[in-house]
Amino acid sequence: MKFPNVRRVLAALLLSMLLLVTACQTQASSRFDEVQAISSQQKSGQAVAKDATQGGSFNQFFPKASRGYERVFTQEKKGFAEAKLKKDGKDLALMAISDTRSLPTAAAKFKNATKQIAGYPALEIGSTQTAVLVADRYQVKVLSRDPSFTASDREALLKQFDYQGLAKLQ
Amino acid sequence: MSKPIQKLVDDLPTNNLTVSMLRSLDFVIPGQWQNITGFENTIRVVTGETDEDLIQQIGERAIYLYNDRSQGYQRAMWLYQTVDSTDVALGTAALANKVGERIPLLGFLNRLTPKADKAQTIDLSLKLVAELVAFCYINGIPGDSIGDFVASLADYSGESLMRMVALVCVDGLIPLGPDFILKAQSVLNNTSPNELEKNVTFQRISDAIPGVTSLNKLLFINESFDSVKGWMSGLVSSRDLTPQKVVNNLRQAIEVTDDKLDYLAAFLDVATNYYEHTGTQTLARRLIERAVAEI
Repeated sequence: MKFPNVRRVLAALLLSMLLLVTACQTQASSRFDEVQAISSQQKSGQAVAKDATQGGSFNQFFPKASRGYERVFTQEKKGFAEAKLKKDGKDLALMAISDTRSLPTAAAKFKNATKQIAGYPALEIGSTQTAVLVADRYQVKVLSRDPSFTASDREALLKQFDYQGLAKLQ
Repeated sequence: MSKPIQKLVDDLPTNNLTVSMLRSLDFVIPGQWQNITGFENTIRVVTGETDEDLIQQIGERAIYLYNDRSQGYQRAMWLYQTVDSTDVALGTAALANKVGERIPLLGFLNRLTPKADKAQTIDLSLKLVAELVAFCYINGIPGDSIGDFVASLADYSGESLMRMVALVCVDGLIPLGPDFILKAQSVLNNTSPNELEKNVTFQRISDAIPGVTSLNKLLFINESFDSVKGWMSGLVSSRDLTPQKVVNNLRQAIEVTDDKLDYLAAFLDVATNYYEHTGTQTLARRLIERAVAEI
């Protein structure tokens, strides 16, 4: 006589636990739900502008490797190029050039820049990044990938890009 | 529609047979691979950023990039998933009551058929070609750049390096033996376009392999294998890898006797999805690296 009761209680308990668990999961993933819905409406062309500069044409403006440092190109997509700075096999930093035509907010954030590097508006972002905006269009970033690579190292590396060449691209 | 990237990364298991198998291969590249799971967590680990607003921006940009099909990321994901798609039912059965424990292989023997050398060789070389093509899709290099791919193998690290180590160990050394490179090459040389067309994985990923005819594609597969064999034999000799060593380490995850290596290969093939698992991790990392540099 007792068993059906136990079963019923157990079923109710399990059901409420299931509801609780699924409710928590939905909440946890909601932070990116909106952008997922918007960005999946259009299948192609929403992330990179049609007239964005080809990543391959950025490569020549990166600093050359020197004094034991190695430069390894890693990504080359439309509107974007990226290389690693390595020493003794260790990743020290990432260097990137991107065309803000695809992402105007990336250029807009420089309006508040109070700093300059090589004559161009510059920003420190978060704890690992320093960025420069060239010709109101191309964003050049250096990102630390090792704690030993500090903000002043980032700034020194940023000074070695060929900004004059890059500015002439557009 | 296929799963969103953030869901794919959130759903990566923290502990299953694939993860145990990869952990047991740590001896080849000590400390190189961590099983990074969860989309937000991956953003934190890859970028080192802790600011919530920045993490949100990085995640959103990564999602936009992934969902833009012209960028090739979804196609790379599909390739990683497809070369790995096997009979997961057996793997699920293996895990049903065994999570965190060693899995005895004997119980599954009667449900397994080891593959012939030819099928195993085609699988190994198709996985290699999938890696090459996915690498090109992800990094934006033309789809037939064997040279660029081989050069970048030297810079492979983390989950990408672990995927290649697992390929050499699990799809090379265990099923084909210590001289698997020579064996696979000789089998490939004796494979006809007709035989290739009969392979199920080839049928599914054929469109992604450069070349118009099956013969062209077979030549591309041969050329890819030939270009990567130096890297593979370098890995085998520098780490002094043998089937015996690999099996000894896999014993942490699976109970196996040495005369059952064919069955072990077949079991790992159906019960694990290391290409998809580490491929998802590679893709997430590259997307996040690009996103953080662009925002």
